[in-house]
Amino acid sequence: MSFRRFLIKRTAIAAILTLVAVSVIFATLRMLPSDPFSGLVASGALTPSQVEELRALYGLDEPIWVQYLKYIQNLFTFQFGLSLTQQRPVSEIIGPALLNTMVLLLPALITTAIVSSLAGMYAGWNRGSWFEQFSIITTTFFRATPIFVTGIFLLIIFSYGLGWFPAFGMRSPMANPEGLAATYFSLDFLKHYILPFTATVLFYSGDFLMLARNSVVERKGSEFLKLHRAKGLSEMEQLGRAGRNSMLPLVTYFALRTGMLFQGVITLEVVFAWPGIGRALVQAILNQDYPTVQAAVFIMALAVIVMNLTADIAYARLDPTVEAGDV
Amino acid sequence: MSLLEVNDLKIKYRTAEEDVHAVNDVSFSIGEQDNYGLVGESGCGKSTIAKTILGMLDDNGEIAAGSVQFKDRELADLSENEWQDIRWEEISYIPQSAMDSLDPVMTVGAQIRQAIHKHRDATKAEADERVAEVFEIVGLDPARTSDYPHEFSGGMRQRVTIAMALVLDPDLIIADEPTTGLDVIVQDKIIDKLLEIQDEVDSSMLLITHDVGVVAETCDNVSVLYGGKVMEQGATYDVFMHPTNPYTMGLQNAFPVVDEFDEQAISIPGSLPELTEEPTGCVFRNRCPFATEECEDGHPPLTASGSQLSACYYTDRADEMREAAAEPETWGIEAEDDRETSHETGDVILETDGLEKWFKQTQSFLDDMRGTEPDYVKAVNGVDLTVRQGEILGVAGESGCGKSTLGEVIAALQPRTGGDIYVDGTSVDDLLAESTKKFRSQVQFIFQDPFDSLNPRQRVKAAVAEPLKIQGYDQETIDRRVRETVSDVGLNPPEKYLDQLPAQLSGGERQRVAIAQALVLQPKLLICDEPASMLDVSLKANILNILREMADKRDIGIIYISHDLASLTQIANRLAVMYLGRVIEIGETREVVQNPRHPYAASLLAASPQTDPSVNRQRVLLPGEPPNPVNLPGGCNFAPRCPKASEECRKDEPKRSSFKDGGHEAACYFPVEDVESELLAQYARNRGETAVQPVDEGSIEESVEGE
Repeated sequence: MSFRRFLIKRTAIAAILTLVAVSVIFATLRMLPSDPFSGLVASGALTPSQVEELRALYGLDEPIWVQYLKYIQNLFTFQFGLSLTQQRPVSEIIGPALLNTMVLLLPALITTAIVSSLAGMYAGWNRGSWFEQFSIITTTFFRATPIFVTGIFLLIIFSYGLGWFPAFGMRSPMANPEGLAATYFSLDFLKHYILPFTATVLFYSGDFLMLARNSVVERKGSEFLKLHRAKGLSEMEQLGRAGRNSMLPLVTYFALRTGMLFQGVITLEVVFAWPGIGRALVQAILNQDYPTVQAAVFIMALAVIVMNLTADIAYARLDPTVEAGDV
Repeated sequence: MSLLEVNDLKIKYRTAEEDVHAVNDVSFSIGEQDNYGLVGESGCGKSTIAKTILGMLDDNGEIAAGSVQFKDRELADLSENEWQDIRWEEISYIPQSAMDSLDPVMTVGAQIRQAIHKHRDATKAEADERVAEVFEIVGLDPARTSDYPHEFSGGMRQRVTIAMALVLDPDLIIADEPTTGLDVIVQDKIIDKLLEIQDEVDSSMLLITHDVGVVAETCDNVSVLYGGKVMEQGATYDVFMHPTNPYTMGLQNAFPVVDEFDEQAISIPGSLPELTEEPTGCVFRNRCPFATEECEDGHPPLTASGSQLSACYYTDRADEMREAAAEPETWGIEAEDDRETSHETGDVILETDGLEKWFKQTQSFLDDMRGTEPDYVKAVNGVDLTVRQGEILGVAGESGCGKSTLGEVIAALQPRTGGDIYVDGTSVDDLLAESTKKFRSQVQFIFQDPFDSLNPRQRVKAAVAEPLKIQGYDQETIDRRVRETVSDVGLNPPEKYLDQLPAQLSGGERQRVAIAQALVLQPKLLICDEPASMLDVSLKANILNILREMADKRDIGIIYISHDLASLTQIANRLAVMYLGRVIEIGETREVVQNPRHPYAASLLAASPQTDPSVNRQRVLLPGEPPNPVNLPGGCNFAPRCPKASEECRKDEPKRSSFKDGGHEAACYFPVEDVESELLAQYARNRGETAVQPVDEGSIEESVEGE
């Protein structure tokens, strides 16, 4: 199968999946037993006729299929509507939160993916060495500890104990009148950044290290590495080839993880008082703020689907045998 | 001045319990432009020696004593950095398993270029040019250097590794089982290529193999290894014409040869010695029919005997031993008095009628919707066979010809897509409908790999008893039958084996347990898929003998599926040759082997190597490879590669009875009369015209038409 056909097929599948995800979100939320206005009626703050007016204002009085079509149409033009509880566009709520989350998690994930994978490959190549054992024990320890526990310990030691870094106070990036760049490229930001960044890197390092180590261990006895060695390649060059042949699981995992980043890590955000998407979503759910929840969940689903697609395409680029196979 | 000199080399492997003395006092030397062979069975230390010469001994291996001198330089003391300079520049290597020896995510050209850049200061263009050169030398299309390994067939990948080995003009090329795992026709082409290259370049070659035939046909000098010791050493011609060591005699006699019929296969009794300590006596003494007390006194030194060296105390009795070694009785095999009567076969036990197994190719969802007829791989395509009681039907063919699928379909391990199967006159469907258990008790299967097909946690007794338990026999019968069967397959005394786990058994013993498992239900039909292909030569014969005996004594019909024609001719009463899902020739084994009529069957038979170094065999340079089994063109499947093909062949597929002489049938309009002139000479001539191996079918056809 040619690469082009492969690409078209995969993209089509991704598009269909997105539509399914969106419909599921829509249906699920409509099936919830209450809506945000029923509470107001019960508390006596609004009369039924006022509620009717409000529902009409938000278009909730239209037939369900009209609502669905409008919803789809708006989603694909990235118009998420107004928040029911905060009286401002959903994008204004989600945008900054998402940005904050990505600024924190994406660099952390990329860093750990590169460093831990290289360390894992080295560990796998030197099987039985102290480095291998030490790296596995350390990273597994941090992987097994919940991220908020690591976070709390970091805070206890470096904020409250040594007083090096602030424990909270990260603001929304939009709150700075001088703009985004001024927020993110300041020393103050760096101080807020270092602890949650470290916690994230430590948390994810175990996965990449073990994946990389295991695939290099698998490759190590292989015939083609023997031939590479017989050709006179040095240890590091051989490790390079072993690493190149171990990329597949690492890339898959990286892509999947990146997709999941869009959900934020609620516990981490709470511990470090980081205004991210995870917190925004939980708040919106508690307030029964449909439009915000819908938009947040849509973005998460889209991210996972898009990253899966990216992983598939990366496969075909990384492993020439994938294209040949029936995919 | 010799290029490589190995002196009194001793290599030990450290294991958790005790050291293994893999190589003990081995000496040999390779001259300039010499083809040297190291031959022996698994565990004889031949691969260890190869690894030592490349400095790639496993981490737990060490050179305990002796020296390896290469161009007057001691290799044993080199550091890893010094090794990296020598590897490939001076000593290159052709690996055993070409299928997985190439880096799957690197183009073949890049892998060869890598070797150039590592050792030479060359620009990419210069390197590319050199890669194209070596590609042409090995007969690959230079336009394919930017393809990935998975785009090449097994034989072509082996050519890539050979090209790689040649690229820096090394002084020595080590070829570790370069043809093992390849089909016999491909093997023949690779051997031909190696010899041709040998004439053109100045490199010496060290060939490591278990295949006596390959060594006899390619090497000038040879060392026969056993248990880490050199048993016999000298010019290949002398060693295999007049062996003076009992092990060489055993090995050579055990090696099956295609045109030896009815001779009971010779196998060397016993198994390899434990190499946990240095040998105190002759390493072969516990399996040697000529051993005496004297043989306990240390391994005999290599002494001159005739024109070769032999490690035996009785080299003066060589002639006498040679005569005795040709008799199976010498090796403890009971002779069958009435070999002739054994060939009387009984009633038909199996009949297949137009048997078909087509595998549907997956197609896109849209094509499915449109109702497009999917492509099929016709693995088994209209096969008619009969097997009688007490008869062994051999099924031969190259990998991918559908022979294994045929076996599995007959045993109902896979559903068939068309045709009928009758066991003892009853349709398989009826048998299965009546009782699956009953059907299974009548038709049994033996798999290729004795290492995987036994449950590692099940003792021999439990493993053999299991089929009986499933059939619901009482405990007493089970015990009796298990004991009888284990003894019948030559595991004597049974008590010794019944409580052992598969891990405690050798490969040959495991395969016998697998056979016992199949025979314990006293089936009417036994299907064996390559049952001996994983075993060493000296054990292979044993398995063949047991199967032959079972067919004769118990009147079982046996289908023996194998790519190894030599084994087939030894035990099969009738032989069927398959090509791309069809039986293209069938008949009495002797008839088919001596007068093959179908060009493909004739080529296949002619491609088997000969252990007799005095025979000068014309190589089979059959062009191309079997075509992609999807979407085969109409007409005879073999026509695109056949030198005799005409318009008729390309249009209509010949029926199997196109040639018929008694029970001998061949699916060919123009049956072969003389293999040499009609086929082999033609192949060689065609190849001369198209220097480069044709890659796709189109060019094959052109080269055929261009005669």
